[in-house]
Amino acid sequence: MEFNQNLGSDVWTEKYRPKKFGDVAGQVEIIRRVKSLTASMNLPHLLFAGPAGTGKSTLALVVVKELFGESWRENYLELNASDERGIDVVRQKVKDFARTKAMGDVPFKVIFLDEADALTREAQQALRRTMENYTSNCRFILSCNYSSRILDPIQSRCVVFRFKLLEKHDIKNIVDKISQTESLTVMPEAFSALYEASSGDCRRVINLLQATASISPNISPDLINTIISQAKPSDIKIVLDYCLAGDFINAKEKLLDIMLRESISGQDVIRAIQKEVWNLSIDNALKVRLTEKTGEAEFRMVEGSDEFIQLEALLASFVLAGEKA
Amino acid sequence: MNFPENTPWVEKHRANNFSSIKGQDESINELRNFLENFPKKKAIVLHGPPGVGKTTMAYAAARELNAEILELNASDLRNKDKINSIVGPASSQSPLFKKYKIILVDEVDGISIVDRGGLPKLLEIIDKSAFPVVVTANDIWNKKFSALRKKARLVALKPLDYKVVLTILKALAIEESVEVSVEVLTSIAIKAKGDLRAAINDLQIISKIEGEIKPEDIGERNKEESIFSALQHVFKNSNLDSKMFGIYDEVNMPIDELFLWVEENIPLEYKGVELARAYNALSKADVFRGRIYRQQYWRFMVYEYFLLGAGIASAKNSNRTGWTNYKKPTRILKIWLQNQRAVKKKSICQKYAKHCHISLKRSMKEFMMIKILLKNLKIRQELRLDEEEIAYLDKPLSSEK
Repeated sequence: MEFNQNLGSDVWTEKYRPKKFGDVAGQVEIIRRVKSLTASMNLPHLLFAGPAGTGKSTLALVVVKELFGESWRENYLELNASDERGIDVVRQKVKDFARTKAMGDVPFKVIFLDEADALTREAQQALRRTMENYTSNCRFILSCNYSSRILDPIQSRCVVFRFKLLEKHDIKNIVDKISQTESLTVMPEAFSALYEASSGDCRRVINLLQATASISPNISPDLINTIISQAKPSDIKIVLDYCLAGDFINAKEKLLDIMLRESISGQDVIRAIQKEVWNLSIDNALKVRLTEKTGEAEFRMVEGSDEFIQLEALLASFVLAGEKA
Repeated sequence: MNFPENTPWVEKHRANNFSSIKGQDESINELRNFLENFPKKKAIVLHGPPGVGKTTMAYAAARELNAEILELNASDLRNKDKINSIVGPASSQSPLFKKYKIILVDEVDGISIVDRGGLPKLLEIIDKSAFPVVVTANDIWNKKFSALRKKARLVALKPLDYKVVLTILKALAIEESVEVSVEVLTSIAIKAKGDLRAAINDLQIISKIEGEIKPEDIGERNKEESIFSALQHVFKNSNLDSKMFGIYDEVNMPIDELFLWVEENIPLEYKGVELARAYNALSKADVFRGRIYRQQYWRFMVYEYFLLGAGIASAKNSNRTGWTNYKKPTRILKIWLQNQRAVKKKSICQKYAKHCHISLKRSMKEFMMIKILLKNLKIRQELRLDEEEIAYLDKPLSSEK
């Protein structure tokens, strides 16, 4: 496997991002077909479905680089559906981009709409029309995690490719290549730790590897675990533990701290609490009551109550539960 | 005019003609116009928040006309007999025999449904009076005033701009020889929120303070004293007497701020079951607050105050003794600080997301990992992080790992 290094980048996910069809790891059948479609210079709309970190964005980039060569930036628009608020923004950007003709030999430009399954049904309906209106000088590549969340009419206008999680040996190849170039020593157990922690997501493997390598070029499982625990979001269970121990003041401080530090919303916290209740060491009847209280707090938040006050009241009932347990 | 030494400055320095009333030119023209055309309309209602000059304008009008003011306040409007005895003869007296009069019905908001016949009597007076009737009110849009609104000309007085308040304070400070900095005066003017009376009172109070006065001394002191004593009462007593029901009446702060104070201090007084009950009351008060916002049904405020006072007081089994050092709310400050930080975090994530072809959402989610990568100075440069973003990465919160 040949890696074409992007020597300009120090972010490894970019530095080692494949530039040619031959460099892309795994997804052999998909690569073969997309490559021949690209070679024909008459690309249909494409839909890439599959889990994160399996090469969807990478393949879209490879396609445009193959098509447009050096001038790919002028002929390529990348949008992220989960960040664009509403279809209107998408439509406006598509319109502005599609207004001018493609540069070079290729008669069309390419729009990559990432995470298209984040669009609502209405937005997808609108997207369908947008795709039709600009077919003459634009091709769409959509990506999504689940193709079932993409409307049938859109799917029927696209050639659909289903990406699978990368095989362990594909990831091994990538890690080996990077270790060689960056002069790292990765112990076999360390590779297993990397692989386990990233569940087949290539981006996560590379990020974790780079973060670990920033401490030492000798990659050990311990080192990897240290990084993983540093990068892990805080655990809401600590807050509940304080409550059950009767320490409301610390529970409250900790909660506020977690929410503010990691910018997570009250509803995220409620969801985490709801999942955690059943794991607490208190009797089941109490768990039922606490779950009901959790539901009431979530309901009130949805209705527009103050999330801190509602959460604090909920924590106070956990303190009470701790005394009874 | 000679005033005794302890006369409130608001009385001593009340403007006594139209030209010395600042910031209300439009309303003055309306009032002047009403008086010139009397009796085309028999009454005028000057309405607006406290301290904007409603009563002052009525008195100034009397001076301009060389007329006498016949003033009725809410407490005089208790019953028909009283109104009859004062206004009845006065209003029907001919101006030939007596000085011209202006009848001032001040603070008409005070007339409640309990003052039987008070409002109908006022309307009757307006019909019969040979003199112009000037009524002042805070909220003229209350349902009970619908008949009055039809009879009278309505003039809305707006809260004074703080610059107007500041100009007046500056002049007053010179006249009363108060040594005070412009910063302090500005701070008083801003805190007054358009209420000139409050601003002048504040100035008079600080004129009695020895030593140097700092802007942060202003106003907050009174406010804190009143909230401390209210919290003391709610948190220490469990018997629900009449004082408990009106406990927050004296506390001059918006209810949202009151929530923060109560929230901050509950854990200092309550433990265990009582803590849970107290928070239960607070969370229910908050539910009513949400309902007010959604439905604009302000009567729910009764339940908000009830739960914040009696609700929380009754959460405990017995009275408390001793003195507790209540804390100022910290949440807002923390949230504000964090928002400043969150903005930086977001802008960093935006740069990373764009550079690495992922969504902002995902980069926010992976931020803890990205932060480790961003220790690499070359990557910071590659993402073109600015100084503030770098400062954010290098200066963690004290509690952060």
